Amino acid sequence: MLPEEHTLLGKITISPNAIATVASHAALQSYGVVGMAAKNVVDGLTNILTRDPRHGVDVAFHGAEVVINIYVIVEYGTRISVVASSLASTVRFNVEKILALPVKEVNVHVQGLRISSPDA
Amino acid sequence: MSALETLPPPRAQRELYAIGGQDLKQLTEAAIAWLTTNKEIVNALNVFPIPDGDTGTNMLMTMQAAYREVAGHADKNVGQVAHAIAHGALMGARGNSGVILSQIWRGFARALDSVETFDAPLFARALREASDTAYRGSVRPVEGTILTVIKDCAAAAEEAAQRHRELRALLERVVHAAQASVARTPELLPVLKQAGVVDSGGKGLTILLEGMLRHLRGQPLDKPVDTVVRPLGLEAVGAALEAVEPGQEWEVVVDFRPRATLHLPSLYQRLEALGTAIQVGEGDGLYRVHIHLLKSRRYEPLELAEELGTITNVHMENLLAQMDELKAQEPPPLPLAVVEPGQIGVVAVSPGEGLSRVMASLGAAAIVGGGQTQNPSTEEILNAIGELPTDRIVVLPNNKNIILAAQQAAQLSVKQVVVIPSRSVPQGIAALLQFVPNGDLEGVRTAMERALTGVQTGEVTVATRSVELNGVAVNEGQVIGLHNGQIAVAGDDLVPTLLRLLEVMETAAHEVISLYYGADVSEAQAESVAEAVRERYPDQSVELHFGGQPHYHFIISVE
Repeated sequence: MLPEEHTLLGKITISPNAIATVASHAALQSYGVVGMAAKNVVDGLTNILTRDPRHGVDVAFHGAEVVINIYVIVEYGTRISVVASSLASTVRFNVEKILALPVKEVNVHVQGLRISSPDA
Repeated sequence: MSALETLPPPRAQRELYAIGGQDLKQLTEAAIAWLTTNKEIVNALNVFPIPDGDTGTNMLMTMQAAYREVAGHADKNVGQVAHAIAHGALMGARGNSGVILSQIWRGFARALDSVETFDAPLFARALREASDTAYRGSVRPVEGTILTVIKDCAAAAEEAAQRHRELRALLERVVHAAQASVARTPELLPVLKQAGVVDSGGKGLTILLEGMLRHLRGQPLDKPVDTVVRPLGLEAVGAALEAVEPGQEWEVVVDFRPRATLHLPSLYQRLEALGTAIQVGEGDGLYRVHIHLLKSRRYEPLELAEELGTITNVHMENLLAQMDELKAQEPPPLPLAVVEPGQIGVVAVSPGEGLSRVMASLGAAAIVGGGQTQNPSTEEILNAIGELPTDRIVVLPNNKNIILAAQQAAQLSVKQVVVIPSRSVPQGIAALLQFVPNGDLEGVRTAMERALTGVQTGEVTVATRSVELNGVAVNEGQVIGLHNGQIAVAGDDLVPTLLRLLEVMETAAHEVISLYYGADVSEAQAESVAEAVRERYPDQSVELHFGGQPHYHFIISVE
């Protein structure tokens, strides 16, 4: 069910795509997140094929609440649990802030690490 | 843990030229003490990325965890102490600011490695490494944050280290730079300005550095100096999203099949040097790279992909609808590749302004004008060869009628010259994609020659006389299509003829269609032709470029 809001002039719906775009934008500005990852490799190709902003983001609804699954690559050498929880709060904050939608959960899936500067 | 209890009496104002392991430990203690005193100031500033008011606490807890690693350390080696602090910060990182702080320590420690003490130049280098490492943790670094502050600190240290060997004076400069940088953060991050605050993480970092300096100066660390708590404007946070993406105007998507197993970290690293919004996908041995970058760099991902393997698909898109405006401006000088002595230089023949630009951006160091009806002379090619400051040259004639002149020029030249017999512009461009300026000349020749066969060339022009060729009857004034130099189709209208030519070229079996439109075709016309091609070949990637060649409405490459 898409979230709807009825106003005097008509109804407003917000698509999963819009939610995913906000989520992926928030994810990429979250520190330690260096890329979005595909859910699986084949999906990866088709996803970027459409250059879809939802790449690496899955949006589902639980009643009127949003459940977001987000698939990311994290910088090696960061505290991954902290990066992931920061990411989850940033995504939740932005979706709730910008779209005024209640977020039930944000599940972060760290799909890989990027090693850009191996320590000696 | 109270850092103050273990802190030795303040050092007098003696000059300081080297910092060892125990000194660094004391400085860290002082930093923690000063942050403890000022934590609430930092918390109150916290509006970005989430206004949850815990930046000061998070940074303090991260630093305390870092300090625990060295608390009992009697090590004199500053490199080892720095590594221990970095390890503690990593393990104890709390919150976003804590993670960034741990990356700063990680970079700082890496630069010191296992040195006994650091002096001014090494301190500057370590701050630079700290800044670089912190930046690597984000694909979209947001300026006006702790990242900007550590970067400004590094720059100040580098500058000051050239004049000051004394470390307290150097740290003074760094602290001033940090304070100035923090003060500037609202100008860089609108959400801060709207909330009327400076960045909290940047402020926290500044306080840590101030604590170190106060310790060296013998100033107290338990009395806050700045007690102003600023009001928060939480409603303003959404605006931060607008501030993130820098002005990267082109989107490039390249698919390629790598020749060998890819080393992803170095691929990411090289992509990051080019642009932002980087995504790399993999499926079935095929890789896809997505990147946003400046117009002037938009061919660089292609060069990179060609270097690693075979390109199968390319998509380019101007993200800003500013093409017309740019067109109206004076054409900028050709972005010719700069050749160093000893490298290989490419001399390419180009029939039009737009094509020259494409070739230059792909690595051509010299362009000789000329094409179907205006073949350049041997002398012109020889001059271009002679003018390049290197003695290893590759020549791309890019037209079957120019190959001979190029070969003559090669024989006459005293330099080592290889002619790649490219019979058309698309062949030349395909060969250029294989070019590596530092390669070995024979290897480069082999790779470039191999590329010639991978591309189909189409040309669309108007018949200057009636003729029957290859079983195709052509009337004067009709549109004709040539496939690899042979007449293949003829018709009265441009678009249907071009589409039939694409059929003859077996386009459906290929992946990338590049259309280079000529000097006689307007951009709008070209766009509509490209649209028709896209409609007919929805599965192929269709690229349209200004070629600027005379006579030929379109030069088409299918690969």
